[in-house]
Amino acid sequence: MKHFTKLAAATLLAGVTAGAAVAQELYVPNLSYRTGPFAATGIPLMNGQADYMTMLNARDGGVGGAMLNFEECETGYSTEKGVECYEKTKGEAIVTQPWSTGITLQVLPKTNVDEIPILAPGYGFSPMANGKTFQWAFNAPAGYWDAADMIVQYLEGQGSLDGKKIAFLHLDHPYGKEPIPVLETLAEAKGFEMVPIPVGLKEMQNQSAQWLQIRRERPDYVVMWGWGAMNAGAITEAVKTKFPMENFIGVWWAGHDADLRIVGEDGKGYKSISWSFPNPDAPVMAAIKEHVVDTGKTKSNPEEMSGVFYSRGIIISAILAEGIAAAQAEYGTPEITAAQLRWGLENINMTEERISELGLDGMVPPFSTSCANHTGHSGGWMLEWDGEKFVKASDLLTANVAGYQDLIDEKAGEYAEANAPWPTNDSCDAMN
Amino acid sequence: MLYRTSGQFKTSYQADQALFPVRQDAFLLGIILILAWVVFPLTASEFTFQAILIPVLIFSLASLGLNILTGFAGQLSLGTGAFMGVGAYACYKMVTLMPWMNPIVAILLSGVFSAGVGVLFGIPSLRIKGFYLAIATLAAQFFLVWLFEKWAWLYNYNASGAIQVPNLDIFGLYVAGPLASSTTQYYVVLVVVTLLTLLCINLTRGNLGRTWKATRDMDIAAELIGINLLKSKLLAFAVSSYVVGVAGALYVFLWKGAAEPNVFDIPLSFQVLFIAIIGGLGSILGNYLGAILIVGLPVVLNLLPALLGIPIDSAMVEHLNIMIVGGLIVFFLIVEPHGLAQLWRLIREKLIIWPFPH
Repeated sequence: MKHFTKLAAATLLAGVTAGAAVAQELYVPNLSYRTGPFAATGIPLMNGQADYMTMLNARDGGVGGAMLNFEECETGYSTEKGVECYEKTKGEAIVTQPWSTGITLQVLPKTNVDEIPILAPGYGFSPMANGKTFQWAFNAPAGYWDAADMIVQYLEGQGSLDGKKIAFLHLDHPYGKEPIPVLETLAEAKGFEMVPIPVGLKEMQNQSAQWLQIRRERPDYVVMWGWGAMNAGAITEAVKTKFPMENFIGVWWAGHDADLRIVGEDGKGYKSISWSFPNPDAPVMAAIKEHVVDTGKTKSNPEEMSGVFYSRGIIISAILAEGIAAAQAEYGTPEITAAQLRWGLENINMTEERISELGLDGMVPPFSTSCANHTGHSGGWMLEWDGEKFVKASDLLTANVAGYQDLIDEKAGEYAEANAPWPTNDSCDAMN
Repeated sequence: MLYRTSGQFKTSYQADQALFPVRQDAFLLGIILILAWVVFPLTASEFTFQAILIPVLIFSLASLGLNILTGFAGQLSLGTGAFMGVGAYACYKMVTLMPWMNPIVAILLSGVFSAGVGVLFGIPSLRIKGFYLAIATLAAQFFLVWLFEKWAWLYNYNASGAIQVPNLDIFGLYVAGPLASSTTQYYVVLVVVTLLTLLCINLTRGNLGRTWKATRDMDIAAELIGINLLKSKLLAFAVSSYVVGVAGALYVFLWKGAAEPNVFDIPLSFQVLFIAIIGGLGSILGNYLGAILIVGLPVVLNLLPALLGIPIDSAMVEHLNIMIVGGLIVFFLIVEPHGLAQLWRLIREKLIIWPFPH
């Protein structure tokens, strides 16, 4: 009993001191998914995000003098838990990071009312690039349509695509269907044939039917929009059916080291487009080692930290921190509000110099956002699995956004119409 | 003492057949209704509305629908999630094709579509029973979710394949969509749930309810005393699917705001089935108790560590939560296999005869 009283007193004290420390703090929650069917891919991303924020707090005392309260709210990728977490955090949060396409779709219409920016780096609804319509949503540094365009560009670099056949293996889910409009336009323009092959959520682990179809169709390339267990399923199945790995390309969420490590040497040549790259020599990694790993504050491990997903987590947090810093500079206060952060995220300018100032050398391509452009269209590198790890297989590719800017605006317009009354930010036109 | 029924004489058949013949029951219900209609809306935060009150009510309604079919008519169904989906998609199509339509009317009408689909999938129940019927309804589950994915007309050819709730208003007051306030949404859900509960209580007490119970207890005997099994079973499917469909429309329109086809997949059916089983099959009250345990309790448990100031990871809380709720389910099923409603029934009986148990 005595022990219990002591414990209770200690927790009370901890609570009180924590309350006192709130003075200058920015609440930047993350709707994490360390549990559930997608946990394997979630954990490295969440660890990367959390470690970067912990490092900033330990090294610089947060951003601009305000500590970052990077609290996680576990959703397990479930949309129901997503509602719960969003409602729980939105009161004080200056940003929401929904992390699942389903949760993003639920939260997106509410942001105009609640006025909280959504940060969905590299995922979510591609037309979010249109900042005039989606004032509160950001999917910097690159969206799915950028990915589709860059993959096709890369393939074109391997030889003309005229008369070629590309199988599009995708999760039969809003996320997997996302790039189809752009791939269709590109197919028409470049003269290749696109064969969509959907993988149902229940078939993720057993794709023998899909790969049988791929064998029958004999495509020149397979482009994959997979997530979670689907990636490992597809990669092992490709190895089993002896599909030439160098003609197999995934989106950035299909480039998880652990999925490839299952097949190891057999997966050699598999590619994945990416806007992030793990650079173990980057100064930020040393800083994380010094302030987070050595002080025992990380949940990660060296193997995970060398992977693509962990470094992507770092980049995502760095983008958020840049947005915060930009807003602080503009408004001259460390304690920014959600609306001020929105301005900050609209005015990120990640130049080469800034990237190396942050110690992120070679980990992210330069990009900048604006009022009208909430994606930034950073471009990306084609990464290739060399049997042990991912290496860069191309120079920086940049998406030809002009090819689908009309499509972005059209789909954004449709969305606004379906959700009328939907306020748009008309001041954007003047600035561009 | 508190629950003494002595002295409450019934002098007419009408009084004897009242919904709540015992005064204390009516009194308790009155308190609950005052809480639900006045106290909660005045005091609840937006989080309480969105994470606890609205989902508990919606899941209670879905479970109520399933309970009519499984608990009262004895037809096991694993297709609840898909029938909820039919309601949601029907409602979505109605409000997008006919934007002038009153959203509450649309929600109530959407149940008609799921009732139709329910009857269709209920036809095999005339020949197959028990677990075999469960498999047939499972087929409905797979087929319908597949249909929601493939039939692009259902989601208006939306590129993402998901349905999004537009802003819907009644005379200028937004009731659904992002602009609707949580209080309004809560009241709409509460009105619909109260109405349908009242309807179901009366249905199950009347002629139809007795027919269903006879069918459940022994269908051959029921047939011999002149009950038309075709009518009885199909009506059970129709009423049940209607209620479930309305619950599905509420689920998307007044709570989630957007849905992709896979939210209507088997896990949702199981969740509703568990609520019905833990609450108590063949009871109305049980649905509410079950929904509080399965939907409401995890949310409250998630808040506890932060309230107590215990520094613990969110993922860890989630793991603990799953274990605690799972443990409680096992505990309640061991203590009272007939569900929480039976537990309450026993407590109430003990209270009535207290302090002189036989």
